[in-house]
Amino acid sequence: MRTNYETLGSPQFQVLSASQVREVVSAAMEVLERAGTRVYGEDALALLRGAGCVVTEEGVAEGVPVALVHIPSSVVEGALQTTPGRIAVAGRDRSKRLSLERDRFYFGTGSDCPSLVDPYSGEVRKYTFDDVYDAARLSDALPNIDFHMSLGLTSGVLPATYDRPQFLAMVKGTSKPLVITAVDAEGLADQYQMACEVLGGPEAFARAPLFVVYIEPSSPLTHSIEAVGKLLYAAEHGIPAIYTPCIMAGGTGPVTMAGTMVQAVAEFLVGVVLAQHQRRGAGVIMGGVNSPMDMSTSILSYGAPELALVSAAMTDVARGLGVPMFSTAGCSDAKLLDQQAAIEATFSIVVAALSGANLIHDVGYLESGLLGSFDMLVMADEVIGMAKRLLSGVRVTPETLAVEVVERVGPGGHFLAQEHTRRHFREEVWFPGLIDRQMRRAWESGGRQTMGARVRARVRHLLESHTPQPLAEGVEARLQEIVAQAEARHAPRA
Amino acid sequence: MPQDRLFEEMTQAVIDGSPDRARALAEQALKAGIEPLEAIDRGFKPGMDVVGEAFAQGELFIPDLIMSGEAMKAAIGVLEPELLRRKQQRQVLGKVVIGTVQGDIHEIGKTLVGTMLAANGFDVYDLGVDVPAQKFLDKVREVDADVVGLSALLTTTVLNQETVIQALKEAGMRDRVKVIIGGVPAGPEWAEEIEADGYAENATEAVEVVKRLVG
Repeated sequence: MRTNYETLGSPQFQVLSASQVREVVSAAMEVLERAGTRVYGEDALALLRGAGCVVTEEGVAEGVPVALVHIPSSVVEGALQTTPGRIAVAGRDRSKRLSLERDRFYFGTGSDCPSLVDPYSGEVRKYTFDDVYDAARLSDALPNIDFHMSLGLTSGVLPATYDRPQFLAMVKGTSKPLVITAVDAEGLADQYQMACEVLGGPEAFARAPLFVVYIEPSSPLTHSIEAVGKLLYAAEHGIPAIYTPCIMAGGTGPVTMAGTMVQAVAEFLVGVVLAQHQRRGAGVIMGGVNSPMDMSTSILSYGAPELALVSAAMTDVARGLGVPMFSTAGCSDAKLLDQQAAIEATFSIVVAALSGANLIHDVGYLESGLLGSFDMLVMADEVIGMAKRLLSGVRVTPETLAVEVVERVGPGGHFLAQEHTRRHFREEVWFPGLIDRQMRRAWESGGRQTMGARVRARVRHLLESHTPQPLAEGVEARLQEIVAQAEARHAPRA
Repeated sequence: MPQDRLFEEMTQAVIDGSPDRARALAEQALKAGIEPLEAIDRGFKPGMDVVGEAFAQGELFIPDLIMSGEAMKAAIGVLEPELLRRKQQRQVLGKVVIGTVQGDIHEIGKTLVGTMLAANGFDVYDLGVDVPAQKFLDKVREVDADVVGLSALLTTTVLNQETVIQALKEAGMRDRVKVIIGGVPAGPEWAEEIEADGYAENATEAVEVVKRLVG
């Protein structure tokens, strides 16, 4: 026996102290009191008024009521008290479960990129329904991708209802949990109905939601009728909602990282207040792609070190608030899978994993989110494998300390014939899938393949070989029906 | 146990890399009156073939290979004395003297090669590390070796691979033995330069090279 023995089950990583987290949250509350926030929609304004907020500058914009709302800290604190710190979701394969809670991290793709690189012709072109289905199949096949977002924006369908066929392509392509986007509350309602068809009813969805919905306020401090409508529908129906500001630091928010965080937290907290006053206990997940605006080109950078830094710092804030966190990694500003893409993806993946954010998305993004890359997704899967090895840390036990084995082998011997080696090498040592460790001659005789060439070959192999679990009999036809009905409702009048 | 079943278990013991089980099965075979040669050829050796193939496919790894080699060695350790008693000989592909050259105490590379050669039907005489040229010559003469394997890890000691080859020439023995070299600073160009007969990048490749040289 012994005393005072401490262990670390994983590496430790933190950007902000508890005091600094309180400082950021406090500043966000001050912003909501002093500057206020612009909110659209009658329902939302009624909820906020009822909650005790100060509603001023009321007006109507394009037929929609809008007002400037000042939110007292007490209202925010009250809402946080009923916001869950743990949210469970599960894919249509119900064994594929995620527990979104403090320190547990999962990786997944991003959504809605307009273009892809055709894996055969190399041509940059728009995403079709089939491409969105293929992206889902890739996520389904990759061992380190835990949840799926569409990666591509479905073209060739009615833009007003693109989200319904897109959901069909996603849910058909993977049995993993999903994060969806929706045009508006009606689009979300249709996808919810589709999910209930897939799972066999709303009870199954309630027990473990098939998807989380991604909702974005408009920075700075504005909450559109679409965002608010989706948020309230989600809260009402037990759909966990990511409420995620995407601030361009220096453009749509302060250029200082702390200032951007304050604004992002303030915007998120409005979502918390709305959701909790719609239905107590509604699941709300903090988010953010908060990154500098590149001051040469005006883009929102997806490869900036500040994106990784702020995402990790925001994760510290989420931990302080006791809410799950939606983070960003595995993405790049590069235009193709080149050295820059590898650098930026690896950098952000390692930091995000260390940060312990729950849903780490945008794996596979190139060109600052305009190009959803199959190559990047497959390469990043390998990087995530390496990061997971890092996070599994060093096990320290009498067995792993191996003194007996060292004694048995003695000076000058070798460990390859030890049972200890064979017992542990698979679990202690990460095995590469795409990383090359061949000796030069073997590499040369194998055609001197670069990482990029190996990645492309893997993409093709997976696309040609992977079959997802099929949807249950008759389900696809019923989903098609919902899609067709939505398209009929929104078809432009001839 | 029926014979075929026993052979299957032998094969499996080698695949699993279990020296204890391989040894026990070898003893059981002798008690049952099975020909030791048959036990090797139909029982244990197919296991090595399976493991070698799985390694080439990337399904198994070096520790698996080595443990299977150890199982093979354990089985042969039991069967060999019985073979000698019957004045029989198992099929030996060749005799290989192996060691790390003088000035160099790196062991693992040549040990790996030695284990793989032994497991694949060669008689291996491992002289250890820091081996002077004369000691290689003496052993080659003593066992009438077909192949001598010279290992070196350092750019400074790799020169002693040439020293051994020179000594073989001076002793008039160069024609009666093939020389293979290995180690990080060695390479096909170096092998050519010092007139070695073969070079391999790793232990499994070494088995192929030696098979070719004695074939």
